[in-house]
Amino acid sequence: MDKKPTVAEKVSPLKTVQETPSVLREPVIAPLVTYPIEVVVPEVRQQTPAVGQRATRLDGHLHGLGQTRYIDDLSFPGMLYAKIKRAGVASARIKSIDTKEAEAMQGVMAVVTGKDVPCNSFGPSLKDQPVLAYERVFHAGDGVAAVAAVTEQIAAEALEKIKVDYEVLTPVLDPLESLKLETPGVHAPSANIYQSKIIKKGDIEKGFAASDHIIEGHFRTQMVEHVPLEPHATIAMWDPNGRVTIYSTLGRITLGRADVARTLGIPVSRIRIVATIVGGNFGGKNEITTEPVLALLSKKTGRPVKSVFTRPDEFIASTTRHPLIMDYKTGVTKDGKIQARKIRLVLDGGAYCSWSETTLGKACILSAGPYNIDNLYAEAYVVYTNKTMTGAMRGFGAPQVCFAYESHMDDIAALLNMDPLDIRLINVFSEGSLSPTGQTLQSVAIKESLLQAAKRFGWNGKGSADAGANLLAEENANTNMVRA
Amino acid sequence: MVTVTINVNGEKRTASVPPETTLLRLLRDDFNLTGSKLGCDVGDCGACTVIVDGKAVNSCLMLAAQADGRDVLTIEGLATMDRLHPIQKAFEKYASLQCGFCGPGVIMSAKALLDENPDPTVQEIRDALGGNLCRCTGYVKMIEAIQDAARILRDEPVEINR
Repeated sequence: MDKKPTVAEKVSPLKTVQETPSVLREPVIAPLVTYPIEVVVPEVRQQTPAVGQRATRLDGHLHGLGQTRYIDDLSFPGMLYAKIKRAGVASARIKSIDTKEAEAMQGVMAVVTGKDVPCNSFGPSLKDQPVLAYERVFHAGDGVAAVAAVTEQIAAEALEKIKVDYEVLTPVLDPLESLKLETPGVHAPSANIYQSKIIKKGDIEKGFAASDHIIEGHFRTQMVEHVPLEPHATIAMWDPNGRVTIYSTLGRITLGRADVARTLGIPVSRIRIVATIVGGNFGGKNEITTEPVLALLSKKTGRPVKSVFTRPDEFIASTTRHPLIMDYKTGVTKDGKIQARKIRLVLDGGAYCSWSETTLGKACILSAGPYNIDNLYAEAYVVYTNKTMTGAMRGFGAPQVCFAYESHMDDIAALLNMDPLDIRLINVFSEGSLSPTGQTLQSVAIKESLLQAAKRFGWNGKGSADAGANLLAEENANTNMVRA
Repeated sequence: MVTVTINVNGEKRTASVPPETTLLRLLRDDFNLTGSKLGCDVGDCGACTVIVDGKAVNSCLMLAAQADGRDVLTIEGLATMDRLHPIQKAFEKYASLQCGFCGPGVIMSAKALLDENPDPTVQEIRDALGGNLCRCTGYVKMIEAIQDAARILRDEPVEINR
């Protein structure tokens, strides 16, 4: 074989450089503005009619253009991405956390665990929630470690390299079990019942004695997640002067500053929280979640750190609506006047207090419904369980009890063979009525509202099935109206 | 790494990305088109909806490499310097969005519908929005706005109930 071995043609480095497509050289910047820029000047100090008007929103313009900047749309030079490792076990003792392998990974810049948090507890009322679980896990969504890495992908991979050794304990899952004195405390030595409220008015024994019928009802509601379209998101930047700036989806930034100050052990004056436009809150973003963790990761790395909850994080590690177990007992005369009502509410408080205090109070105060009841006894308890924590959600407990007392009223009407509307008209509050807690009510228009509503959707007094059909017909008529 | 070239909003753009990159990540992270949102990352919420070759798709479920050589339209490509797209205008007028996070996806689904069917029934609009979740405002005002936009796009006179 006398053929010469072939050698790759020599290409000068300069030529390679010249032949690189110019599009690859373009910096990553958004194209120029391609939409009309309108300066919207709000009308200041001008009273505008509101009722009956079609309202528009000042921010609707940017929303429609896709130009609204939510936290995930912001980025800063050198920014890292954080992910949180969830316990995945409802109740356990943490024997050890091994982060060595994760820390050694290329692209991982920092790992923090509960021992790195200066003060590992916070909460809007009881300070019972750890920033990152340390020694004990109280619910499956508890964070046990956090990683900051150069990409989200690397951060997610690093979480799998973190080894946590658990001694799994028996969880308390049923709120009624948790209520019993012999059940071991979720946060022992603290009792499982962590808040309670009792409202007494008149004498229920006398009321029941004066009743012709006594009716009992038992109702339960389920846990509900807010599911804001935008998940919880945070960017933290710790500067060398020891100040931290946090961009957060948090709704209550003043409270958030106090909690961040407590957990990080620095004065409030060194904390700046920037509240951005939020993609849905519904009460689910009323307290800090990962803000202190990100601040610590930023302090450790000297870089801005961003984290966005995954959808599963949102379900297991953010607050939810309290499930309620509601027992009602009502005494009525045969013509439908309520003589006495006894109520017990048990709120499943989940692993941490969060906004349970507010929810418990409001649920208990409203549990009797908008009805004149002279003899009332309402008691409400919120208990710890090893489940996702429950907190604020639209209505703070009011929707749950409304479901119970209105269902109960329907049951009473059915028993007495009365029109469900009539039994309400007999008992509802009127001008000057006393609320269960003794407040004199003013501007009460329930009776008028009920009658108007009944008239509008053609209530025929025959019961809910016909009413449902009427409502449906009404809805169809509306749909046709939209179509026309 | 794969080199992906897409025609996005009428402009040819190229990026070199890891093969697992989704179209959504490509648009947001590499092209800085952050109008399309990441809501669930599993194709349930529709906040990431964009139009690929005339069809509305969940860009979080499509790999960037799958979009190579195709036409992609995002919310940023709807308005021109002179005017908003009639759907955007109608959404603003009817206050169809509250927090706005679902908006870009909803508007892109509506655009894909009206391109195919200029006179949709309410049911057809509902079906077209079936893959878009909203947690704030509900869908009634969105349907009204889409009907309004459809009338404008058909050059019919529009009356607003004010």
